[in-house]
Amino acid sequence: MSALSDKVIAISKPYFGPATEAFLNRQCKGHLNIDVTELAPSHVKELAKWVETSGALLMDAAKASEIAGKIAKL
Amino acid sequence: MKLTIKSKLVGGCSCLLLVILGVAGIGAFSVLSLRRSAFQTTRVGDRLNAESLEIQVHTLQAESQVRDYLNGIKTMGAQQSKETYLDEAEFEVNEIQNLAANLMKISPTEAVRAKFAHIPAAANAYTEALDNIVNNSGSNGKSEESKASLDAYEKAATRLSESAEDGEITGHDASQTSQMEIEATSKRSVALVTGVSLFGLIFALTMSVALSRAILVPVEHLKDVAENVSLGNLDMTVRRYSEDEIGDLADSFSRMVTAVKFFRSEAQTIQEEAEVGGGVR
Repeated sequence: MSALSDKVIAISKPYFGPATEAFLNRQCKGHLNIDVTELAPSHVKELAKWVETSGALLMDAAKASEIAGKIAKL
Repeated sequence: MKLTIKSKLVGGCSCLLLVILGVAGIGAFSVLSLRRSAFQTTRVGDRLNAESLEIQVHTLQAESQVRDYLNGIKTMGAQQSKETYLDEAEFEVNEIQNLAANLMKISPTEAVRAKFAHIPAAANAYTEALDNIVNNSGSNGKSEESKASLDAYEKAATRLSESAEDGEITGHDASQTSQMEIEATSKRSVALVTGVSLFGLIFALTMSVALSRAILVPVEHLKDVAENVSLGNLDMTVRRYSEDEIGDLADSFSRMVTAVKFFRSEAQTIQEEAEVGGGVR
């Protein structure tokens, strides 16, 4: 697992809890065609966009936007 | 700094304790002030009254000595009578002067002091009139000068008596004023303690309501969310009301609901995919 993947998981953990890895994996596989462990800096913007969109379906939109912002800054 | 429920409760209780201590302190201070004021004013009023009465007694005694002196001139001669009676009379006048000086010293106000200022003047006039009687006593009370000095003495004695009576009335008035001052201080103390107690009560009520709201509102919200989730309604927004333990609990709950939602949607997706795969077969 890359250091970037660890950082993204660490950022998302307080919001998604036990579903963090599964959620991120779904976004990476479904939209970026990669595994969450293969995340590279070039994927960050796209991942942040999909986390915001999909996250808003599971939680408060403001919170989803907050996570996306944090991921985008990586 | 994070305001926890513990710190809010400790802070709230400390504030209430401070208010209670403040009320108790002000109450104790008021009672002590009242006691001191009552003691001082009553003591001054009583002393003014008592010493004024003492002046009257000394005046009467001086007059009595002078009467004896005048009678003694006829029986034992001027010199013998003077030695027997006038020394006593002078002593009484000196006592009047001392008492009057003391009264002026302890008088609580300028107006009261002015009333007592008449007594030393009257006592001086009385002494002068007495000296004149002694100087004119050689004619055995028959000459014009002697009669005039006796009349002057009578007037001076009357004025001294009146001044002493005025002093007594002033002392009595001062006692009355003392009573009024005690009542005023008492009323002021009661008003102060009542005011501070009311403030404390309002403050305590406000604090209690604020503390209750700070704890109860987020707990009620979490209870609603938990009930909905337990009935299968996952479309609930968990709000974080405060940055304390209940806020942390809300975050944990929110995380749990998000995970459950995600896993449920995953399960549905897998089920749909399985159904689609089965249908194709």
